[in-house]
Amino acid sequence: MAKINDTKILLKDLSEKKGTYLKYETEEVITWCNGCGNYNIQNALKRALTLEGFEPDKILFFFDIGCNGNGSDKIGGYTFHGLHGRAISAAAGACVANPNIKVIASGGDGATMSEGINHLVHAIRNDYPMVFILHNNHNYGLTTGQASATTPRGFGMNGSPDGVIADPMNPIEFVLGLNPSFAARSFSGDIKNMTDVFRKALKHKGFAFVEILQVCPTYNRATPQSWYWDRVKYTSDIKNYKADNLKKAKEIVEDFEKNIYLGVIYQDSKRENFVEKLPNRKNITTASVEEVNYCSIEKLLKEFE
Amino acid sequence: MERTAIKIAGASGMGLLSIGHIISRALKDLGFYMTIDREYPSLIMGGSSNVQIEFGTKKVRSLSNKVDIVVALDRSGLLEHITSIKKGGILIHGYERHNFIPELKNLADKNGVNVLYLPARQIAKSLGGSSVMVNMVLLGLLWRVLGFDINELREEVNRQFKSKPELLKIDLKCINAGYKAKEIGEIKQLDIKKNSKVPKTLLIDGTMSLSLGAIHSGLRNYYAYPMSPASGILTYIAKTSHETGIVVKQVEDEITAVQMVIGSMHAGSRSMTATSGGGYDLMTESVSLSGITETPLVIVIGQRPGPATGLPTWTCQGDLNLAIHSAHGEFPRAVIACSDQESSFELIQHAFNIAEVYQIPVIVLTEKEVLEKYSTINPFKQKSIPIKRGLVTNKKELENLVAADRFALTESGISKRWIPGSSKNYYYANGDEHYVDGTLTEDGEHVRSMMEKRMRKEKTLKNNIPEPIIHGTKNKADISFIGWGSSKTVMLDVIEELKDEGVNINYLHYDYVWPIKEKAAIKFFKENKNVHLIENNFKGQLGEHMESLTGEKFKGKLLKYNGRPFYFDEVVSYIRKRVKSKR
Repeated sequence: MAKINDTKILLKDLSEKKGTYLKYETEEVITWCNGCGNYNIQNALKRALTLEGFEPDKILFFFDIGCNGNGSDKIGGYTFHGLHGRAISAAAGACVANPNIKVIASGGDGATMSEGINHLVHAIRNDYPMVFILHNNHNYGLTTGQASATTPRGFGMNGSPDGVIADPMNPIEFVLGLNPSFAARSFSGDIKNMTDVFRKALKHKGFAFVEILQVCPTYNRATPQSWYWDRVKYTSDIKNYKADNLKKAKEIVEDFEKNIYLGVIYQDSKRENFVEKLPNRKNITTASVEEVNYCSIEKLLKEFE
Repeated sequence: MERTAIKIAGASGMGLLSIGHIISRALKDLGFYMTIDREYPSLIMGGSSNVQIEFGTKKVRSLSNKVDIVVALDRSGLLEHITSIKKGGILIHGYERHNFIPELKNLADKNGVNVLYLPARQIAKSLGGSSVMVNMVLLGLLWRVLGFDINELREEVNRQFKSKPELLKIDLKCINAGYKAKEIGEIKQLDIKKNSKVPKTLLIDGTMSLSLGAIHSGLRNYYAYPMSPASGILTYIAKTSHETGIVVKQVEDEITAVQMVIGSMHAGSRSMTATSGGGYDLMTESVSLSGITETPLVIVIGQRPGPATGLPTWTCQGDLNLAIHSAHGEFPRAVIACSDQESSFELIQHAFNIAEVYQIPVIVLTEKEVLEKYSTINPFKQKSIPIKRGLVTNKKELENLVAADRFALTESGISKRWIPGSSKNYYYANGDEHYVDGTLTEDGEHVRSMMEKRMRKEKTLKNNIPEPIIHGTKNKADISFIGWGSSKTVMLDVIEELKDEGVNINYLHYDYVWPIKEKAAIKFFKENKNVHLIENNFKGQLGEHMESLTGEKFKGKLLKYNGRPFYFDEVVSYIRKRVKSKR
């Protein structure tokens, strides 16, 4: 659990920046269930953005389809509410075109581990400069509680009443197998830890993968709030844990039964991101969006004369 | 002779492309206009391929079915193409085992073909060359048959192989040997008319023309997944990316490509992707997303025959209805079709303007035939098409915007669009139905008015796109055609050719195929009594739209769906069967 004096410091900083924080609030009526993990996730994200000094008009959020996606018009900032499974790709296109604004995408376990898992794999490989938040609530909430790729085996769900017969995926373990530049995990019950993780993700220059273990009080009875509180631990609980060792990182996320570690699991902060790696843009300091104009083709035409 | 057609045939990997390149460059320097295309199977080595070069003193935009000369580099080239030679034409080959075999001789006699044989393999080897250099020996012989000076050819060979000096020496020897071969004896050379001046032209294909148009008009982010015949666009934009600074990314699939385009366009860049029908099928859900979020989108479809994998390396115009009807729900879109190099260069620029100003998906149709065919064309004019972005960029205006401006219910249907991050006043771009500020709504009245606002853009667009163009005779046409895409190139050649025989033809060509300006067609049907359809597909897709929109019927439909483009001589014979020559 978070230490009490740390929280006080956080709140002091927040109150100094409350003008910014309030800009993330909107008057739209929220449509999530009582007790939904999304309230806390959105809250922690707003805190992290405020504390890191981001104004809403410099943020571009990409939302997937699902309960979280229905919050696309309930936060201050430019938002894009796209297709199921495709939030990462659209966001990648935006952050590549304009690295001067912060691009934050989010999607559920259905979108990320099933419909669009290919996009996750290649976004990690390419290290696009963006944050991605996986809302993992172990089921398809908005379509009324079907099993996802992370639903524990044996639990009866809408559409699989006899229980899921396949083993669940462990998203962060999968991601660490792809040599990401940033992988973190947190829990929707812990605003303090989520805020901390989000702040570090926002500061990362490449693809920052954040998995949030999210409660779903309506459809996910297998892993409720109390189930998590009995199991979650922090990377700071491991003596001398440093997030720069991929092998060690893989070891601490293997277990999803007893010890579920939260925090930044792995980070390579020195790695060049996708935009920095582009060989043809090494000496270009502008963003694509600033370059849209006539481009002379005089030299290129020589070949055809 | 007004128009001379040469076909070089052989297996893939026998140096067909380099020989085609040398001939065309040399002909260009001699002042000829020409068109070059290649036919090849979907494999890397072997199989039967050919390059056809057709040239003359006037513009040549299409190819003929029957040629004057075939140069056969191997056995398949020999037997497959002897029947595609005109009566009195020439077959050049160097395949010793097939010289004077009865089958070849019979076919040659039956078709009135003169056969010129040179033991090219032996000659190449005796000069220290490899068996691939058969092509150089036969090229030398071809040049002699054409009656041209060998120095022009030597210059081009020098240019082509200057990076490989050792091979160059042998290549030049081979060409010389072919040109001067004593075994051949006297040759009746072709009587080819020449231009007195060398016109200023570009020798270019549609792939590079379209790419250059996009590059010129501010393309900054290109994403694609390889698929024939659109892969060449990725190749060219990537190859030139150090010159242009464009971000080029080959992504994991077509859905990613189109989504990244949407992301980049939404962020305020100019971006596009290109694919073929199958890849476009995967993109269609995203086309619908572009429709409701009013995000500009440009997708190029390089058509090849389907269904499914179909014929990956052949041509057709089969995806018109796909482009018009694809993706769920109702939303406005534009479909534009390239017909040749000039239109590829220009229409892609208009596509960006339309996508950005109207905030709609624009599908640019092209064909294998348009993408891969090289022609000599008038040089491109830069900055002739203004860049229109439809963005709010004025500082004061940006300050005074409100979120409800983004999807405001305007008369034209077009609302203000601004780049995320450019104004304090943010907005929501929502793939769920939304109201004027982008917030989600399921209110019946809001839904109705937002749908009507979006659809008003189609009406505005239809009023503003250019009218289709009538080529050929203004009135008293003996026969008339309506078409789109590469049909234009063959129609222009045929109109010119038959004019000399007193046959008056006109052709109504649609660059903008959706929305369709049907009033132009109604007028065309009224003014012309013998209107036919020309379309490279089975159903006559544009024709069906035309008949239903105009209430008229075509007198005939010239349709083709075997993967080949319309040939000049086959369109001429379609017309001759229906109209008498007045000469």
